[in-house]
Amino acid sequence: MPKGMFVDTSICTGCKACQVACKEWNALPHEPGHFRFDPVEKRPVAVNFTGDSYDNTGALSATDWRRVRFLEQFSEDRSRARWFFSSDSCKHCNDAGCLNACPTGAIVRTGLGNVFIQQDVCIGCKYCIPSCPYGVISLSIATGTVHKCTLCNDRIHNGLGTACAKACPTGSISFGEVAELRKAADKRLAQLKGLGYGEANIYGYKEAGGLNVFYLFLDRPQVYGQPEAVVVPQQRLPVSSAVTIAGALALGGAALVSFRERGSREKDEEVKK
Amino acid sequence: MNPEVHMPGWEWYYVAMYFFIGGVSAGAYFIGTLAELFGGERHREISRTGFYIAFPLILLTPPLLIADLGRPERFWHLLFHAKSGFPYLNFQSPLSVGSWALLLFGAMAFLSFLDNLVSEGKLKSAPFAKAYSRIPRKWYAVVGSIAGFFVAGYTGVILNVTARPFWAATDPLAGALFIASGASTGAAAIYLVMARRKQLADPGLPGFDLFDRLSKLLELFLAVGMVVLAGRYAAPLMKGVTAVMFWGGAVLLGTLVPLAAGWYATRIAAGRMPAERLATAMAVLVLVGGALLRISLVHAGQVQ
Repeated sequence: MPKGMFVDTSICTGCKACQVACKEWNALPHEPGHFRFDPVEKRPVAVNFTGDSYDNTGALSATDWRRVRFLEQFSEDRSRARWFFSSDSCKHCNDAGCLNACPTGAIVRTGLGNVFIQQDVCIGCKYCIPSCPYGVISLSIATGTVHKCTLCNDRIHNGLGTACAKACPTGSISFGEVAELRKAADKRLAQLKGLGYGEANIYGYKEAGGLNVFYLFLDRPQVYGQPEAVVVPQQRLPVSSAVTIAGALALGGAALVSFRERGSREKDEEVKK
Repeated sequence: MNPEVHMPGWEWYYVAMYFFIGGVSAGAYFIGTLAELFGGERHREISRTGFYIAFPLILLTPPLLIADLGRPERFWHLLFHAKSGFPYLNFQSPLSVGSWALLLFGAMAFLSFLDNLVSEGKLKSAPFAKAYSRIPRKWYAVVGSIAGFFVAGYTGVILNVTARPFWAATDPLAGALFIASGASTGAAAIYLVMARRKQLADPGLPGFDLFDRLSKLLELFLAVGMVVLAGRYAAPLMKGVTAVMFWGGAVLLGTLVPLAAGWYATRIAAGRMPAERLATAMAVLVLVGGALLRISLVHAGQVQ
């Protein structure tokens, strides 16, 4: 039975406990510091800020497997404001672009449904990086291989939940069987709709074959930086291949016309003589 | 299209150069085969030249590919599964199928190369000749050129079958474009070698010239078609160095100028100017244009 996570963004407070827990458990390197002593100004200056609210990673990467997004939004006249938080990670798609693209079999799906990169197999070809429609994977210069969230592979295969879900103080991230989590998500969605959140929706039931890590959003997924029409790249492979073959056939036709022009047989014989 | 999709960080001097050199090699090889299959004895010299070019060029490409890997010493995982040791092939991954196609193409190009040396008397007998000499040359040339078309085209499919906005928006034309460019650059390489070997009176050249022009027209059509298809996602091709490389290099120098020069030399100035020198210069331009085509498209997918 596939395991996964349900991220209820409506109760996320943006505390980043999940980011910290992820870094701790997976022994990921820390972020660059935010202050540096400036020898000219003779005082500390701020560096490495994203300039995007409290977001301190800017993107998921080989060392940031969790990222809390902070979405500050204001109305035109700035009389109304809202501040959304959403903790993002690898979605462990059932139709995973990275896994499909991997030419070495380094990326595998385990019995619990999580997508896992075998570090001793990966060659660092980087093809999975642009093949992920969510921008999750990236290369580590230190190891020469790619890294991403493993769904705490070591923990979940030993009866524990993910580190981020364990650390979450509001229950925004919950770990469990995907089927059970979906039931809880549907219940929560109905509750929110009843409270007047008409735009609330669940993201991840049909995207990329179904996401094992899925979300409840209070507005359209686009607002939370998630693509609404997800195309797993390999879905385009048949047509792309067919057009390429057509190109090859067109050139074959051009060769037929060019190299066998009218009367060439007779001339061929002359050449032979 | 999700702008947050990460860039792979493929270096132009490894990956785009592999796309280019592999394309020239494969193009020269399939032109050689097609000229021999359809053209017979008249085009023998052209196909021979194509086979001479293909093998040395394809030998240059594996080091480029391996150098771009994060863990170059593990390159063999592309062909054999690291854990089981069995041959590994993932049909959903053009990179996986392409690795095998490159191996097959290299092997066939090697056989054709040896065959050439033997038939020109430069080599008394080829090693392992007994193993394959009973197979007619055309057979492995056909297998090799199918692999060659694959090698020339799959590099475009690699780019198209990703989620990077520019590469995804140009889907499904990059593969066919790279094949057409492989043909025009392969033809340019054949012409340059023939010019160097002083074979410009060869009876096969008129047909070869026509094929060359048709492949450039196809390339031009696909390059412009790709930009139209991509619409607003083609923005990276419209500004800065990338625009100069694509429009000035790939389109203008690589296709339009050589097409115009060919037309000018045959229609307007027939016999009045040193056509060979002009054609040689144009062949060099085509090769430069082909390289810039790959560099600009690899680059355009990797800018924000």
